Order: sequence, then C-alpha cells, then structure tokens
Amino acid sequence: MTGPRDDDREHTDEPRPAREFASLEAMRELAAAHALDALDTDERAAFDAAAEESPELRAEADSYAESAAVLGALAEPVEPPSDLKQRLMAQLDGLPQQQPASQSAGGEASTVDSSGIAEPATSAEPIDRPAGRAQAHARRRWFERPGAVIGIAAAAIVLIAGVVVGVGWPGPNGWGAQLEMAAIASAPDAQSQTHEVAGGGEITLTSSAEQQRSGVVVSGLPELDADQTYELWYLDDSGAVSAGTFDVSGDETWRVLEGSFTPGVAVGVTVEPAGGSPQPTTEPIVIIPT
Amino acid sequence: MIHVLEFRSGAAVEVSARDRRSDMLGLVVDGSGAGAPASAPTPDELLARVGAGDREAFAALYDVTAPRVFGLVRRLVVDPAQAEEVTQDVYLEIWQTAPRFDPARGSALAWMFTLAHRRAVDRIRAAQAAHDRDLRIGARDLDVPADTVAETVEVRVEHERVHEALADLTQLQRECVALAYYDGLTQREIAERLEVPLGTVKTRLRDGMIRLRSALGVTT
Repeated sequence: MTGPRDDDREHTDEPRPAREFASLEAMRELAAAHALDALDTDERAAFDAAAEESPELRAEADSYAESAAVLGALAEPVEPPSDLKQRLMAQLDGLPQQQPASQSAGGEASTVDSSGIAEPATSAEPIDRPAGRAQAHARRRWFERPGAVIGIAAAAIVLIAGVVVGVGWPGPNGWGAQLEMAAIASAPDAQSQTHEVAGGGEITLTSSAEQQRSGVVVSGLPELDADQTYELWYLDDSGAVSAGTFDVSGDETWRVLEGSFTPGVAVGVTVEPAGGSPQPTTEPIVIIPT
Repeated sequence: MIHVLEFRSGAAVEVSARDRRSDMLGLVVDGSGAGAPASAPTPDELLARVGAGDREAFAALYDVTAPRVFGLVRRLVVDPAQAEEVTQDVYLEIWQTAPRFDPARGSALAWMFTLAHRRAVDRIRAAQAAHDRDLRIGARDLDVPADTVAETVEVRVEHERVHEALADLTQLQRECVALAYYDGLTQREIAERLEVPLGTVKTRLRDGMIRLRSALGVTT
C-alpha cells in the first residue's frame, strides 16, 4: 500500500501536515474560484479571513483578479441612466472616506464593509451576513481534512467490485467520481486493458460503451515538475479532445475521463504545462486503442 | 481582424485593446466613451486622486468607466432597476474605499470590476435565495432549467491577446468559467447544472484561470 492517491491538488488526501500549511494550501486552491466569485458564502468568508493573514494568498488572489477583470471587460458596455451620476455626486457629502491602510493592507479592498452607505437602496445585506454557525462549519470543513485516504486498495476495490469507498469528499477522486468509476467498472459491457507507458509505469483503461464513460488507473508514472501535468485525451480521426488532467504524487492514481467515450476512440496521455492544454503539445507517452 | 470565439450566451461583443493588460483595459474604457484624448488621465491616476477626496476626479472616473461597470452589472443582474442600484452601490464603495486602493496590487479597473462583480453576484444570490424560499413553500424539488448551458453564442473578440488567452482554455474550462463569471453560479451550482462532480468543476475553473492568467502574462 503506497501513500496518498488523490491526484487533484484540491483534495490531496495526504496525511495532514501542519495545520497552518494545510489551511493555506486549501485556500490557495480556492483562489481562482474566489476571483470568479464562485465560492459560496462560507467558503468566501474563510478565504477572505485567510487572505487577511497571508500576503502570499493575497498576491495569488490579486493575480486572478486581474485575469477575471478581462472577462469583465468583455461585457458589452451599457450607458447607465443619465441621472445616476447626479445622484451619486449628491451622496458624497454624507459619505466619509476610509483612512488609507497604515501598514500593509489588511485584506482585500473588495471585502471592506460598506454598510456606512446611507442610501437605503444600497442594502449590503448579502455581504454582511453574520458569521454564525454556517461559517464555523465552513471553517471546520475547509481547515480540517477528512482523515481517510484513498490508496491503491480503495481504487482497486472501486474498480473491481464496484464498491464505493467514500471519504465524503467530492473531487476527481471523491465519492462522486468513485460512483462514476464504480458504475463504469460494473457495467455489463465494461472492458479493461492494461498498457505500458513510455518512461515507466502502466495504465489500465476501463470503459463502457453503454455508459459512454471511461476511467484509468495508472501506476508507476514519474512525478512531474510543478509546472507540468499529465493530460488525458480522446483521440479519433478528427483529432484530440481533452479528457482532463491529473498529477501523480505517489506511484498510482485513477481518474474518470471527462467527456464521452465511444468505442473506437483511442485514449492518450501527454505531458502538458500546468493547467493542461487545449490540444496536445507533446508526443503521447501512451496510446490505448479501443 | 475579427476572431470568432464560442464563449457564452449573450450578445456579440467586440473588444478592442492593445497588447498590455493595463493598456488593454484602459482602451476598452476609452473606446466606450466619447473618444477621450490621448492625454486624458488614466483610471489609475483618477482613482489615486479620488482616494485623496477629489470629487472632480470621481466624476471623471465615473464618466470613463460607468458604461463598462454598468454593462458588467447588467450582464449579471438582468433587472435594470436593480442593476442601477448595484452600480450606485459600487461607485459609492469606490468613493469610500479608494484611499485604500493599492496600485501595487493591481490595476484600478481590475479593482473596480472586482467590486462590481462581487456586488452583482451578491445581489442575484440574495434574489435567488428569496426565490428558492418561495419555491420550497410551493413545489419542492423544482428543477431549474439548464437553459444557459445550452445557449452558446459567438462572442467576437477583436483583440488578439484576449482571443488567444481564451482560446487557450479548453471548451469545458471556458464553459465553467463563463457559468461562474457571467451567470454568477457557485462551483456547487455549476456542478449541479452540468451534472458533473464538484471536484471536476473545481479543477476546470482552476486550470482555466491558470491558463488565462498565464496567457495574459499576469505575474503572481
């Protein structure tokens, strides 16, 4: 039994290191979604609290905010009502400005409480939700990882017996994916084949034409540098379609492929820059025909 | 040169801008206004003056940025009256918090878009929460139609760099990023909408944003 298997940096089921480190890492994984405002209230509160403590996390959040702003700039401009400016200017008198941050910025400017705004229509209610039990719950959830670890055995059990070994944690290797993997492996028409991988290791593809899904278990693949990732591809005559990325931190992992499987396609794996590529940029290290 | 890019539901948008990120955003804003002279102060300069309590600068900043900010808010908050309220909130917050704006952390426009996006998303989630409460009283488990997912309209992006940056994302990454940014969905909601595991959505969002950031040359 080797160590942790979860290839998704988001849910590394690794034995938890120092609590501080674990929480910071967990927050870093939320930074992109934070910039898109795709976190729910609890997660956002936890992230903002963590960002106040960590200049590193703030820098990460800022870099994503710049990228998200480009999306904002793509929205079609619309002239606001002509009287809005006058109404705004008229309200400045009653609105004291904040003091400049004396030392290092305390947090994201965007999280600053604006409840001082006098205008009744400017309800800040959604922002100023009290931090109650929900937030405490979020902190428990985000700062403490489930102790269970999915190892080779768990993945194998999922594959072979279709048994769900849950950690109650969603992710590419979480219960949702395990259910999918189990469904593929236990499909009446499931097919499985193992191939050697150039550079070391092997990969087993399990597919179900009926369910139009497939999954892989890899073992012995070398760990990549932080700026690289393994990327899965569905390959056919019309080209390559990305089926998701994975990273190996031990010597084996498994992954349900994104997209639809159809008999006759080949599944390939390449090494790509972190984040994956829209099209392969390197030679495949393995191609599995079906 | 017009590139056609499948990106999200909504109107076709043309964006013109230059190579550098800050220039790009600046020109986008200039282009939406009445053709400000080249010597006009940049939003960053204006925001710095706003931070010192300069009302004229605030008025000027409003003039050059309001169509952009209102356009973004309208994209998320469909109701015009609510969108106007949100936009008003955004500018009042800009006035109040401008003294704390730190140019070392990013551009003025990115900061303003961040404020606007967050407020708009908060507004639609508050409305959604009220809507959900009503639904629970009426019919349970009413499915929300997945209409926006099906809709894909071409967004014409003139600016090569934005085009290239977005083209660097896979279709699945773009879909997730668009559902988050333009439809204001949480990761969880996207997972439900697309019927994929939450972790898959997280991975797509993160990978997509990493690629976008790297393609735009934003340094960490």
